[in-house]
Amino acid sequence: MSTPSIQLGDYIVIQRQKYTKLQKFGSLDTTATLGKETLELKSLLDQPYGSTFKMCVKETKPGKRGAQRQHALELCSETELRSTRELLGISSSGADNRDICDDGEAQALKPSDIEQLREECNGSSKIIEKLVENSKTFHARTEYSQEKYLRKKEKKYFEFVQIRQPTIRLMVDIFYRQDAEKIMGIRVDTLSQIISYSGVCGFGSYLLYESGTNGLLPAAMLNSIGAGTEGTLVHMHPGNVPQKQALLALKLPLEQQQRCVSVNLYSVLREFYQGGESKESDVPPTEPSEVETQEAQPETPTEEQPESIEPSTKKPKLDDNQNGSKGPLRWQLENKKAAALMHAKFDSLVLAAKEHPTNILEALLPLVKPSRPVVVFGTCKELLQETYMELKATGKVTGLHLTSNWLRTYQILPNRTHPEVNMSGNSGYLLTGYTLK
Amino acid sequence: MSFLKPKTHIEKGDVVILYLSVSSMHAIEAVPEIVNKKGETIPHIFQTNYGSLKVENIIGVEYGSRVELSKGWAHVLQPTPELWTQTLPHRTQIIYTPDISMILHQLEVRPGAVVVESGTGSGSLSHYFLRALKPTGQLHTFDFHEARADQAREEFRRHGLSDFVTVYHRDVCNLGFTDDLDGKADAVFLDLPAPDLAVPHAFKALKLSGGRFCSFSPCIEQSQRCIQELTKLGFNEIVSMEVLQQESVIKTRTLPVIDLEFLKQPKSNDAPTNSEESKASKEVKKYLTSSNPQVLPGHTGFLTFATLPPNIPKA
Repeated sequence: MSTPSIQLGDYIVIQRQKYTKLQKFGSLDTTATLGKETLELKSLLDQPYGSTFKMCVKETKPGKRGAQRQHALELCSETELRSTRELLGISSSGADNRDICDDGEAQALKPSDIEQLREECNGSSKIIEKLVENSKTFHARTEYSQEKYLRKKEKKYFEFVQIRQPTIRLMVDIFYRQDAEKIMGIRVDTLSQIISYSGVCGFGSYLLYESGTNGLLPAAMLNSIGAGTEGTLVHMHPGNVPQKQALLALKLPLEQQQRCVSVNLYSVLREFYQGGESKESDVPPTEPSEVETQEAQPETPTEEQPESIEPSTKKPKLDDNQNGSKGPLRWQLENKKAAALMHAKFDSLVLAAKEHPTNILEALLPLVKPSRPVVVFGTCKELLQETYMELKATGKVTGLHLTSNWLRTYQILPNRTHPEVNMSGNSGYLLTGYTLK
Repeated sequence: MSFLKPKTHIEKGDVVILYLSVSSMHAIEAVPEIVNKKGETIPHIFQTNYGSLKVENIIGVEYGSRVELSKGWAHVLQPTPELWTQTLPHRTQIIYTPDISMILHQLEVRPGAVVVESGTGSGSLSHYFLRALKPTGQLHTFDFHEARADQAREEFRRHGLSDFVTVYHRDVCNLGFTDDLDGKADAVFLDLPAPDLAVPHAFKALKLSGGRFCSFSPCIEQSQRCIQELTKLGFNEIVSMEVLQQESVIKTRTLPVIDLEFLKQPKSNDAPTNSEESKASKEVKKYLTSSNPQVLPGHTGFLTFATLPPNIPKA
């Protein structure tokens, strides 16, 4: 199997050292912004994923906060990437920092000199070489401190980016780092456990309700359902149109995408309970969609939600007009598909709601077969405590556990091993259990 | 056969989880008869704290049902890797769900993946790998202990998972993962006393298009040596972490609220009214509380993950 190549319309992960970013490669004119650098993505087309590109300065514009640089990208080989330390051949270093004082004069080059260097030199190692040459204290620093200095400078002037294919692992890192709220604060360990506890795999029919995770949860579940399998997913959401960024970014085969049925919670439950009747009454297609919007809007209490719905509200209306004359609308077909799966019942339920979970659980739990996992995610413990008690009282769910996690990363280096200085303090909470007959 | 896919009714030969309480559950095989130590075939009767269960009676019962025991009742659940991990016969130390979930996520295991695992141990992690990669992927699992490898192979067969797993009895630190697997794996997982010795073999087993690597070690020194070896061979994105799960114990607590204000007043002579008052003021408040258990896991192991980038020559 050959490595897939970068195509127009793909979502791509741009990586510059440890920084990663998800970007849509929509057209040849698409540019991506990494801090003060703007990258022209044109030259990525048809190159294999995993390739490394060199950022070549095309023009520099003065910006609000220093110069904004526009770069073209040139494919380069891995061998061009070498450790700066080796490249500079640094040999002497100090034993400790007793002779170093912070007087702001250590660097002889002025900021303007450095800006000029950036334009003249096409290579971070050359800039760093000059910086080291002009640093009065560099050789007095300890070896560790030198390395740190070089790493810091390298980070700033590093001129290579790698283009990677989005995966769930890369995306959860990006989303969580950029704005954890947008994925409801679902941290990597919690996401991994949602997948485990829900038992989602290539066999079975799964039910998810989520109120906005940029498509991360449905994407992660559909990813675990896999290509060329028989598993299906009904993805319920509170808005008019589901958030699907992460799902689209995975670029899954069509047959797999079609096994994820995304439906509005209200309208699919209506279809489920009253489906037969509305069919007979044969209402004009535009009317129910209006009912839907009216119905969905007032029920969205949090402030973030209208935002997530807004950009997409126009789209389905367009669809309405196009398909109006031809027969059932796409969302109606999806609702029918979902309702059929609901009647057949599900092999697990995952809930990640911004709304109060009680009523949603009450509506969705009866759709789950007995002896199947239930996973409820919550950002705060108190809500899930109550849910725990409520579920316990019904006697319909057993093996209830309310858990959270510590996730600690480590720096492991010879003689310098310790936990990272910062750690994330909030994993969110999971309430898990198994349904009973 | 109950591990292959979700099913609704217990069939003969299924492994069934007999769920008594959060702290008490058992994995039993749904067969009407078993052979005892004397070699005689006898009816399968399973003993629990709540009395005995005639196992024959649960065959054909719907999963999730309540079944009667001679002195109480229990529920029968279809096994999942999570429940199996809590009930399986321990042949070695095992890894639990929080670490395993992170391993599966970081190794990007999904249907179709080819995964190499060493050692097999009690097969706790193997069951998760198999759930994640079936029906189109393959697990190659290695153990240097012959009896353990045989037991695991037999267990996978009984669980209906044979089609997706190959169990090897082999010392991978010295002998590697066999030439047949060179360049075949999407992911390699090591849980070995000396993972650094197996890293070069992992490097060989991973696909030329790259792949993911994980090593689980209880001790930091093992991770350290492993990382040195990984760096030498050109692995990148090397990250080490620890995942610890905390359970919340949820209870409703009722607290008496005591009144101390009346002490400021001199004792009144009218004794009976006073006692009435004090009774009325015996207020209680109810809280739904959660606390961490007295003892909880403080360390399981260090998880070291790395990526083998594409197109690194393996000559």
